[in-house]
Amino acid sequence: MADFDLYSLRNVFTEYGVMICFNGPFSHSVIEELGIAVRKYLESNDAPKNCIADVFAVFIEQAQNLKNYTSSGPFSEPEYARFKNGTLVIAREGDRYIVSSGNFVRDEDCPALEQSLSSVRVLDKLQLKALYKERLRGASPAAGGGAGLGFIDMARKASDPLAFSVRRLADGSAFFNISVSILAG
Amino acid sequence: MEKLAIEPALSSPSVMFDPDSGLLEIGGESYPENSFEFYAPIISWLKQYLAEIDGPVTLSINLSYLNTSSTKCMIDLLDELEAAFRAGRTVAVEWFYDDENERELDTIDEFREDFSMPFSAVPRKEPA
Repeated sequence: MADFDLYSLRNVFTEYGVMICFNGPFSHSVIEELGIAVRKYLESNDAPKNCIADVFAVFIEQAQNLKNYTSSGPFSEPEYARFKNGTLVIAREGDRYIVSSGNFVRDEDCPALEQSLSSVRVLDKLQLKALYKERLRGASPAAGGGAGLGFIDMARKASDPLAFSVRRLADGSAFFNISVSILAG
Repeated sequence: MEKLAIEPALSSPSVMFDPDSGLLEIGGESYPENSFEFYAPIISWLKQYLAEIDGPVTLSINLSYLNTSSTKCMIDLLDELEAAFRAGRTVAVEWFYDDENERELDTIDEFREDFSMPFSAVPRKEPA
């Protein structure tokens, strides 16, 4: 740890316009406190109210997805210890805010995740609204306590199609990352 | 029947449902740790109230933000009122919004599309 260079890490954040970053286990109280910080930061940057509302909403859906996934079922076993840590950043890139989060996922969960996001990212705003309403009526609680509506809601608030990647790792797990961009103006 | 009173927290709204006046108020923000657990007793209270007590009922909502799972629960709550309205009960829903934040009115409009009971959007004077 002695040669860990926090300064270079900070320079990476600056280079990519990262305003807020959290890395660690997502508890409900962490989500609440970060949420307050996100809003205050955007208010102090004079972001318009609807933009603050969209960034906040996407932040909440990503953070609660992370928490629900990493706290469900098998992840209480010691072999999954590192799965508990998620990473979430909010950055500014040109005229957009980027809300991006990542966490380890089990290999067997990847196909459903990729399928779900691939199908959502090609829809236009009207199709997204229709799908959202359909799911709202049909949805029963997902295992982690969510409604299974998060990706659709993020896509509706995004200014570009959702970006995501799944990086397969040698140990049979994968790292999942989703990024949502929201017009700042 | 007892009043239903829930204190507000950072991520969950205050709830004050009064069976005597028929005024049901909910206000604040809604992104609790588990929305289904939070809303289950509220929905059961409403079901019991609608079944046991007659008279006009007004749901007054002053929520500035709902996450997706709270939105799902709110639909379930509103479905109960809509069913009562269709069965002949006097029902009104009023939902307050910040007129400087168009997202709040967008949210209300999306709910309103799905119901036939009286459902009004009212500009808020003070922040939620």
